[in-house]
Amino acid sequence: MCWLCDDFGDPRYGKGYWYLNPANYARNMYKLRMPGEGFKGAEAGLETGVHTGPTREDMLKAIEDNDQAEYIRILQYMEAVQQGGQIVPLEDADKVLELCSPIGVMACICRKGMRAIDERNELEYTCMGMGTGMLKWERWPERYKGGVKFINIDEAKEWNHEMDRRGFVHSLMLFGAPFIGGFCQCDYPDCGLINTALDFGGGILKSHYVAQVDYDICNGCGICASRCKWGALKFEVTTGKANIDQFKCYGCGLCHTGCPMEAIKLVERSSIPALAEVW
Amino acid sequence: MTMRVRLPDITWGKKFPKITIDLEKCTVPFACKKCLQICPTGVFSVARVMEREERLKEMDPRIPGNYVLHVARRHKCISCNLCIEVCPVDAIKIEAPAEERLRPDVKGVQWEST
Repeated sequence: MCWLCDDFGDPRYGKGYWYLNPANYARNMYKLRMPGEGFKGAEAGLETGVHTGPTREDMLKAIEDNDQAEYIRILQYMEAVQQGGQIVPLEDADKVLELCSPIGVMACICRKGMRAIDERNELEYTCMGMGTGMLKWERWPERYKGGVKFINIDEAKEWNHEMDRRGFVHSLMLFGAPFIGGFCQCDYPDCGLINTALDFGGGILKSHYVAQVDYDICNGCGICASRCKWGALKFEVTTGKANIDQFKCYGCGLCHTGCPMEAIKLVERSSIPALAEVW
Repeated sequence: MTMRVRLPDITWGKKFPKITIDLEKCTVPFACKKCLQICPTGVFSVARVMEREERLKEMDPRIPGNYVLHVARRHKCISCNLCIEVCPVDAIKIEAPAEERLRPDVKGVQWEST
């Protein structure tokens, strides 16, 4: 169990996973942030407040100065104030979408910043906003320049499967823990939380699963290798089959859903002793 | 507070390139977006000017000064200089660390003196 499950999970729902606890989608979990007011830490959003405290630049300086204690101090501060979230495989994503309402799809804010994607087209919609927060989207004309399209649960599932086919990682975002307010379709290096996780540590949690290859079924087609974002899956020439470094595996399930032979399966992280606490 | 985050592989003491952007030359990064899209490692990022009273308004990316380009991930910069070559207003400067002095004849890079 990850610490989000320890804090916000309920054993009555979905094996105690925090994102299957319906209370975390409840309206009264939402924290209203008024425009123009200053907020610090986890309350600070891009729209309402300006981040105060150490930045990425301070972490880079700590690396350059070989100051590990300072780096870890900043990382702990970041962990305490960041919103965070968790990678969720497609099977669990379907369960998540049944719990929340309303669901609106929109353009990605990270991709807009990193690659200057214009948000004028519905084809560029990737990320989902969920719950009460979506009802006030018109307050932020700059963020929602491309608009929002509200969809029902079946459309959301279908759309999520389409995103999976395109090769996006599904990540669930906390908007002021424990309120779950976003379901993003992420990529590396565009996604802010994924590049934090891979380059600095922290950011987003790995999923509750890890991928495993069934070597009897794998035919070595290599499709899974092109879908892995984490550098965990490679085509092993010696055996002619896929090979997964499970320490690096985030359990996003993209290799599993992309495999035409169904040779890659997702197993529970807790069932593998060395990986049970690797988040 | 216990450490619950696993650190990625970090080379302690590694020096990163210093990237400076001349904001007087680079005024419409969101409309130009050449460096943002050519960078193989995604070093740059573009953001709205975050003045308090302007925060809620919709911004036109074609008007100079509405968006600023900044360096978000210089730890991933490989000093390949594609951004310098592609920049139409010559606003980007990369100062590569001395230990990466592999291509001393490359256009635009200022090498740190040792």
